[in-house]
Amino acid sequence: MSKKVLVACGAGIATSTVVMNRVENLLKDNGIDASVEQIKIAEAASKQAGADLIVSTTILPTTYSIPAIIATAYISGIGMEELDEEILANLK
Amino acid sequence: MDLVQFIKKDLIWVQTPCQDQTELFAEVSTRAASKDMITDQFLEKLTEREAIFPTGLQLENFGVALPHTDPECVTEQFIAVLTSEAGIPFKQMADANQETTANLIFVLGLNEPHSQLAVLQQLMGAIQNEEHVKALLAAKSADDIIETLSQVVLHLKGEEKL
Repeated sequence: MSKKVLVACGAGIATSTVVMNRVENLLKDNGIDASVEQIKIAEAASKQAGADLIVSTTILPTTYSIPAIIATAYISGIGMEELDEEILANLK
Repeated sequence: MDLVQFIKKDLIWVQTPCQDQTELFAEVSTRAASKDMITDQFLEKLTEREAIFPTGLQLENFGVALPHTDPECVTEQFIAVLTSEAGIPFKQMADANQETTANLIFVLGLNEPHSQLAVLQQLMGAIQNEEHVKALLAAKSADDIIETLSQVVLHLKGEEKL
């Protein structure tokens, strides 16, 4: 079944644009059938139903019923491969 | 579009005397307002956004911050650049309970951020290579910053990351 990933940042601009691109390529390269939606973190609570994973570049204001991963590694460049693995592991 | 097209000489501060976010945001806002690049709301919104969703990033040996705010507050797009040897405290993007001392600050004045993927990737590419960060921090003038960023973009394109 196709999976769904929510990519969130605080302002809904800037950082999530870069992370969105990285996650889309990561899924494609690994043959994972998943759609990716860019959102503001404030929307995550209402959008988590029907999604499988939240990837956020900002602090998580609450807890969610689906896994949520902080993805600032994609911005700083420190720990990017580990983050790739963590995202993939959550979608297998 | 290239990162360098967003860098304006008037919006570069090499070794800013600013010591905290309040001073830094006021300085950038005043200059950008004098060039009619932002709305009256910019400073307030920038400050508010940074408080709720901080943008500090701790690199191995340096700190970086990427403050930005709502697209509605920006009338002409820019990326302001500031360096600070002593550093300016910012809360971290991933965890507001932790601080980083930012030596390199990019204030992003973007009003079409989703169409700026390449520019943002170039910016992240600059941050993600310590040699690039060091070169920017060593800059002695606004021209040095622009020249260094041009080199960074060429380097990134050479790596075919873009």
